[in-house]
Parts: sequence; structure tokens; C-alpha cells
Amino acid sequence: MFKRLLLLGFLSGILAGIAALIYQKVYSTSVGADFSNIAKPVGIMISSTIGCLIAAVGYWLLYKMLKDRTEIVFNFIFVILSFASIIPAIGAKLPLDVNSPELFPGLVIPMHFFPALAFFTLEPLFIKISEKTKSVVA
Amino acid sequence: MATLLTFAAAFAFAPAANWQLTDKYSVRFTGTGDVGGIFKTMKGTIAFDDKDLAGSNFVLAIDVASINTGNGLMNTHAKSAEWFDAGKYPQIKFTSKKIVKSGANYLVTGDMEIHGVKKEMILPFSFQNKGTTATFNSTFTINRSDFHVGKPGGDVGESIKLEIMVPVKK
Repeated sequence: MFKRLLLLGFLSGILAGIAALIYQKVYSTSVGADFSNIAKPVGIMISSTIGCLIAAVGYWLLYKMLKDRTEIVFNFIFVILSFASIIPAIGAKLPLDVNSPELFPGLVIPMHFFPALAFFTLEPLFIKISEKTKSVVA
Repeated sequence: MATLLTFAAAFAFAPAANWQLTDKYSVRFTGTGDVGGIFKTMKGTIAFDDKDLAGSNFVLAIDVASINTGNGLMNTHAKSAEWFDAGKYPQIKFTSKKIVKSGANYLVTGDMEIHGVKKEMILPFSFQNKGTTATFNSTFTINRSDFHVGKPGGDVGESIKLEIMVPVKK
């Protein structure tokens, strides 16, 4: 189960990273503000992957404790933590030579929800829901 | 003789050299804690001759809306009515009245106008002349409450340090 969850975490991290990079491209093209020197593509991919891997480990730990109630608690915690993670993004101070810092939250806040979205999207492919309890597909 | 007198009179009343601001200027401010940033836009006129301080003068105007603290929310807050009120008072102005030598540097007395409040201040500055180019540097502290900028107290200290660097050319 743990290996499958790690694979889920890794793949959902990659998916979230790709989605974030696409969003960054669309955002910078549409508003004309380029923050690629601050939110670097490599950093986006690494942080998305690490975030989803941590989520996978968290899922595994919760499953050890909660069994059939894991999913609802995990989803709740993941979404709350995603919301909480936008606070530093709003308060971030950019280098003073960067123009239009007010547009920066609009770029990074949606990105903070991509790991959860990717994880929730791929989760059914890795975890089978039986009638009463949830178990990992063998 | 008449020609010589005319020439001498013209020389005596020659205005101090006019300098043009280049776009490499820097207006940086820092305060206690997280307070800090720059003003990105400044314009003005500078007539300065270190051998003719009586004929020298400065008029500088900083565009308040050009403030950049590095954070969008803080920029909006700084431009709001509670702080600089950029809509009502779009400029910070300094107009010199007297310049005197002070050791290797200079002291300029003039009117500082911030947030609609005009106050006479004496500011130190240095002048590095390189012929056709030169650089003015000044570092000083203002008390924001003297100009009714923000409410007294709070997280932002009363003293705000300003560091101004103005490269100029003839």
C-alpha cells in the first residue's frame, strides 16, 4: 500500500507541476507580468512533487489509524492545508525591482490548490473503494 | 574697461550649473520591522555649483503612486487615505531655500511637503563631481507623524530612514 501511495503522490505531484506551469504561461501572457524569476519552473515542479509525496505519506499514516474514515479526514485536512498555504503567498515580499507585485498572488494562489486537485483526480486509479472499507488495489 | 566690467558682471550673476536627472536614481526607505521599499518615479530640477551655493537650488518631486514595498497589499495600503493618500496628495516635494557647506558635504535647508503637510527641514547631502556627470547622495530620517502619515504607534515605527541617490549629467 505504501509504495502505491508513494507512486500516487509522485504522479500527482508531476501532474500538479505541469498544470502549474501551464497556468503560469497563460497567466503571464494574459496579464503581462512575468514572475518566472521568482516562481521558477524547477521550483514549481519540485515543490508540487514534494507536497504530493508528503500528502501520500499523510494518507498512509491516517489509513493506519482511521481505516474506512481515512478519505474524508484526509481530503478535509489536505484542503485546509492548501488554504492555509496561501497566506505566505499573499504576504510574500518580492524583490523591489519586480514590477506589479500585486499580481503575484493571482499567479501563485491557484497553484497552491493544484497538488490537492491532482491527488484527488488520480486517487481513484490507485485506491479501490469496496462496499464498506477502503483498501488499496492489489 | 566697459567690456571687462560687462563680462565680470555677467560672470558674477551666472546661474549655478544645471544638472539633469538620469534614470538611475534611487529613493529607498526603511523603517522598523518589515517596513521598507522604494519610490520608483522622481523628477525635478537641480542647479548646483559647489562654488556658488547661493545660486544653487533643488526642486524634487517624488510620485507617491510609484511606491513599491515588494508586496501588492502593502503597496495598496501605503497609497490609501490612511497613509500617503496618493489620490489627494500625489507627490512628495522638496524645495530648497539655502545650501551651506558642512565639512566635506553640504546641508540644504528647504521645505519638505508630504501628505499635504509642509515642514522646513535641513538635509545633509554629498556631491561627487566627475565633470559632465555627478552624483548626489543623501541619507536622513523623517518622523512620519510630523506629516500625519499613518496613525501614531502600531507596527510601523515613527522614524523612517530615507536614502536618496541621484546621478545627474550636464
